[in-house]
Amino acid sequence: MSNVSRVEPFGDGFITALCPELMLFAGMLLLILVPNLGKGTFRIPGTQIRLPWLLGGTRFKFSSDPRLPAWIASLTLGGAFLSVLYIFNQGLERVVIVSESGKELLLINGFSRIFELIFFGALALAAFSSMNRLQVKGIGSKVSEHELYNNRRQADFYILMVTCALGMSVVALAQDLFVLFIGLELASFSTYVLVAFLKESKVGVESGMKYFIVGSVASGVGLYGLSMLYLWAGSLQFSVLAATFAVSGTTALPLIGIGFVLVGFGFKVSAAPFHFAAPDAYAGAISPVAGVLATASKAMGMLGLVRMLLIVAAPESSDGSAVWLVCLGAMAAITMTWGNLAALGSDNPKRMLAYSSVAHAGYMLAALTAVGAWNWDAAVAGDASAAAVAVMTALIFHLVVLVAFKLGAFLVLSILESEGGASRLSSLGGLAKREPLLAVAMFIFMISLAGVPPMAGFLSKLLVIMGIVRIAVGDMGAEIADGGIYVLGDMHWVWWLALLMVINSAISVFYYLRVVVVMFFDEPEQGREGPLPGGWQVRVAILACVLTTVLVGVAGDSLIRLCEMAAQSLNYNW
Amino acid sequence: MSGAEATTTVHSEWMQYAPLIILLPMIAFAVILFLGRVFNGHPFWKNTLKEGGLIALPVMGASLILSLLLISEFLKGNSGVDDIFEKIAWINTGLWDGGSTTESVSFGFGIYVDHVTVMLLFVASFLCLLINVFSIGYMNTDPINDNRNHRFYAEFVLFCSGMLGMVLADSFLWLFIFWEIMGLCSYLLIGFYYERPSAASAAKKAFLTTRIGDVFLMIGLVMLWDLFGSLDYAVVFDTQNIEAVAENSAGTLQWALGLMFIGAVGKSAQFPLHVWLPDAMEGPTPVSALIHAATMVNAGLYLVARMFPFFGAEALHGDLDDLAFIIAAVGGITAVMAAAIAFVQMDLKKVLAYSTMSQLAYIFTGLGCAMYLANTLDWHNDSDAHYIVVVAFGASLFHLFNHAMAKGMLFMASGSVIHEVHHAHHHLHHGDHGDDHHDDDFDAQSMENMGGLASKMPITATAMLIGSASIMGLPFIGGFWSKEGIIANAWRVAQDDPRFLFPAMCVLIGAAMTGFYMSRMWLKTFAGKPNNEVAAHVGPTNIWIKTPLFILTFVTLSSVLLAGMGFTHWAADTEYSFLSEKNILDGILYEMEHAFANSDAFFFILTYVAIFLSAILGPGIAMALYGGKLADGEVTKPWMRPVVRLSAWVNKRFHFDNTAFRESSLATALENRLYIDEYYDKAMINIVAGFSNKVAEADTEVIDGTIKAIESGSQSLSTAVRSLTTGSARDYILMVAVGTLTISLLIWGVA
Repeated sequence: MSNVSRVEPFGDGFITALCPELMLFAGMLLLILVPNLGKGTFRIPGTQIRLPWLLGGTRFKFSSDPRLPAWIASLTLGGAFLSVLYIFNQGLERVVIVSESGKELLLINGFSRIFELIFFGALALAAFSSMNRLQVKGIGSKVSEHELYNNRRQADFYILMVTCALGMSVVALAQDLFVLFIGLELASFSTYVLVAFLKESKVGVESGMKYFIVGSVASGVGLYGLSMLYLWAGSLQFSVLAATFAVSGTTALPLIGIGFVLVGFGFKVSAAPFHFAAPDAYAGAISPVAGVLATASKAMGMLGLVRMLLIVAAPESSDGSAVWLVCLGAMAAITMTWGNLAALGSDNPKRMLAYSSVAHAGYMLAALTAVGAWNWDAAVAGDASAAAVAVMTALIFHLVVLVAFKLGAFLVLSILESEGGASRLSSLGGLAKREPLLAVAMFIFMISLAGVPPMAGFLSKLLVIMGIVRIAVGDMGAEIADGGIYVLGDMHWVWWLALLMVINSAISVFYYLRVVVVMFFDEPEQGREGPLPGGWQVRVAILACVLTTVLVGVAGDSLIRLCEMAAQSLNYNW
Repeated sequence: MSGAEATTTVHSEWMQYAPLIILLPMIAFAVILFLGRVFNGHPFWKNTLKEGGLIALPVMGASLILSLLLISEFLKGNSGVDDIFEKIAWINTGLWDGGSTTESVSFGFGIYVDHVTVMLLFVASFLCLLINVFSIGYMNTDPINDNRNHRFYAEFVLFCSGMLGMVLADSFLWLFIFWEIMGLCSYLLIGFYYERPSAASAAKKAFLTTRIGDVFLMIGLVMLWDLFGSLDYAVVFDTQNIEAVAENSAGTLQWALGLMFIGAVGKSAQFPLHVWLPDAMEGPTPVSALIHAATMVNAGLYLVARMFPFFGAEALHGDLDDLAFIIAAVGGITAVMAAAIAFVQMDLKKVLAYSTMSQLAYIFTGLGCAMYLANTLDWHNDSDAHYIVVVAFGASLFHLFNHAMAKGMLFMASGSVIHEVHHAHHHLHHGDHGDDHHDDDFDAQSMENMGGLASKMPITATAMLIGSASIMGLPFIGGFWSKEGIIANAWRVAQDDPRFLFPAMCVLIGAAMTGFYMSRMWLKTFAGKPNNEVAAHVGPTNIWIKTPLFILTFVTLSSVLLAGMGFTHWAADTEYSFLSEKNILDGILYEMEHAFANSDAFFFILTYVAIFLSAILGPGIAMALYGGKLADGEVTKPWMRPVVRLSAWVNKRFHFDNTAFRESSLATALENRLYIDEYYDKAMINIVAGFSNKVAEADTEVIDGTIKAIESGSQSLSTAVRSLTTGSARDYILMVAVGTLTISLLIWGVA
């Protein structure tokens, strides 16, 4: 840890180091204050003098604008996103925030920053595009201002979005089980409420409740696992835990602890069999929120898994492969197959996307499994470490580009939703005639999800599969180069995960393209022939998603390099 | 493309835009198809945008401009520069370098520009633009095409993009990919009127016949890959690599190139894979022009021309002369056979189709001879030999250029004739009520229904006249310069190697035959009296159709200037720069002297024999049979009057009765295309169809059965899986519990 600067809370360099997070905090305060600004006065007791103190009373025109909270939230989140980008552009400094007693609390490096990029990007897009979404009664092409929720209710929604971002970024930075859990719960509770936000509709409340109950159970199990780890190691520090695990990791207590933690994060990434609440939640929540669940929230879960599995329970600790390898491999295989099979027969586009996101979680778990196949510490592994970095790069890259096309697809559905629902595949019918560009955008998202070149989705899938195969081939490469003979059986079994991924991708093409067929070749549903509801914000957000999907697919070099840097910085023995 | 990493020999300013030449039409393809689907029938789309025609036009214009900039850049930096490379890698990252496991993989597309590229790039982009202009006049004015022209324009630009991509690609692999894009588009465009059974089967025939060639091409490419370990031009044309291959496996290389040549035979419609080309006339006329002049058939020639570095390599000296002979012989056979079949065709476009086959055969013969010379002469060290090789290769490329220009013009002119005859027929028989009777017996393409059109359509007639003259090789016009070169070179080679007497005789006889059938076509269409009422009512054509004809007439006439600029030299080898003579007048004089007053007695006589055959004997017989005055009171332009009068005079003076020939079995055989199609059909029905039926059976039972089983299986699995999602939170928690237990057991068990 040579070139890492250590900073105490509120010490020198604290503000520069945590600039994006502090921006979020400021934005949250603004969201509370600004919509309450008004002509309120304060009478000095005992006198007739009234001092204007701006809070309460009749509100100003700007502060009662229902779109104001959305603007504040999207500017805050967008600002945080840009500041992270700026930091990357300036060259990243590794900073660790330590407590007075010298314990590491937060770590800022390429890995945590790139995940913040995912969180802030997804949430900013979602906040921006739901600006016209939250209306009381929703059908009609024009949304007039009085149809929107009044802005106090709006402010609640966007405060939750910002706290969600804050919680997620804490998870990204955490170096301590306690901090990790705080961040996790901050983000989780925000999403529970966001899912149930439409309290007027039965579906919204029901799905929110279900998501909350199952999520709490999973969190509880995860917390139990964390406490077991503390009980065993006597410390909450990742570095201490990792060191202890290397010595005595194969005893019952830490193993069961790790297993329980896997449950907690497994729910977050919606891995089978903890994914059951996810399709309900996605279908019940408004589409931008569902998009956040499928991208940012999932990234947070993956992040937690990476931290816990690769850093605490690193493969180094046992001989060669990690203890959790078989378990995670089975989970990956079941998750991707289950997701794809369920999506195959699903008629609700939002549920279909939910299952597709389960399948994508399976792909990512497969990548994670592959990393665990070999000891990937650069000092020990040498060549295998390069392969592990390649897979990690692919994993991070996949999470980043997923924001573009998964969230984009949800945003397209969100436009249909504000017209009166997007719960049937046929509600997409005739989209190509009603708004051609939107249909093209959806087409691009779908083929990217299916992994068709030259879209970003193809590249990410290819990188993941290539990485897994490379790891599976392992050190046989040298043998092959020397003309040695090898058979399939010589490869590490994670190879089969790559094969399963390919088969699953083939299955998935069917349900992605079915959406395209409905959009381009079916007639619109009865009563939906007219133009779609307006709202330029959501269309701008979709455009951003389309551009990212295509440009990254065609020329994604710089993003891949960024991800590679992040993957390298994860290797704890920097 | 930000991922551009240049491994350039020479970096050129315009090079970075070169991919746009291919990309723009490709994007236009998607745009036109999409907009066409959405706005089909919309008045703005139909009238203002011409159903996509006016989207395609600027795109093709931009491609042409970018091509011209690239070409001028190339010609400027000509001295000492062989080729320009530009490599664009899709994704550049160390992740592709497979470390210890696999060889480094790079996905990239490169641009390769040399003299052959430059010439074909110009031909393709220039003609594509003109044909696009023509299409707007031709396709959009015929109500039968209404509301589906977007399909035409979309496929058209994709076709152009395929051709341009093939020409610019930097490896045989990409060449093959674009080659197949063209194959697909030719299928789609020939079958544009897919509701007609004849068009549908013609499309199928074209696709399958070229596919036979493509299979061989693919095998050839695989063999080439096996020999060189790469298909990049940079690797396979590298002198050291060729030396290494020549040491052990020159014979294998000859086989590989021979198989690739079969691919070219299919694409360029040479014997015995020529059967698709006449049927391809079922497509709309702009498609015929596109396939015959600008793109598809040139692809085969381009592929053969691309092989030149192998033939010219010192290391392979004398190893490839058999293949060179085969190329020349296939050309020779096709030249005579196609010309003979053209004698008896009554369909205007079919005559042109056979003429295409015959002229391409000339180019193949020329290329074969040039390759023989390059392979057997010591041309790297001997400057005389070098000159001979370069001029032989250049003459073939020049003929490609002349033929493309003339044939593009001829097809567009014939389209103009057909279009107007068709309209006149409509006007006469159905009135202008917009009713559609395309199913009646009237054949607007048959020359029986034409005659005497010289006065009705002067521009079209002029274009057709110049084009025919260029194809025939009348002195001073267009193809003359290159055709003489091909004939002379064939005989030069025949002096060295008696085997080549065969192709040499073929091209000489072919010259006379070309003279006959091209004159016959022109005379039957434009001279004499109208053959029926319809031909008497044909009116002039529209501006979209006239413009390209006008431009191409000038290009064809100015080929003497190109010849003077030393086209044959710099098209073949960049060591001779553009305008190698001091000025253009000297150049023209030099070419004249070379052509008409050759110091070598043999070639002197040969030149005049060829001129006699192609310019006097062939047209003379045609005039004697088909010449005639225009109808009374009809006047044509002054430059066509002497031609018409001469034909009338020859007809009066020398007319003879050819009924005996017309009723002979040879004529019947020719009308039936020498029964080749029938033999193929028989072979297909007896051998291939039986085998195919078995395969089809296996397909329905085994493959489809498996797929259906997978499909129904996964659907029922899907139902089963989804039924677990009960919607009750209690069940979900139960699953969480089950998962937790399983995970704990698994982790504990493994450790």
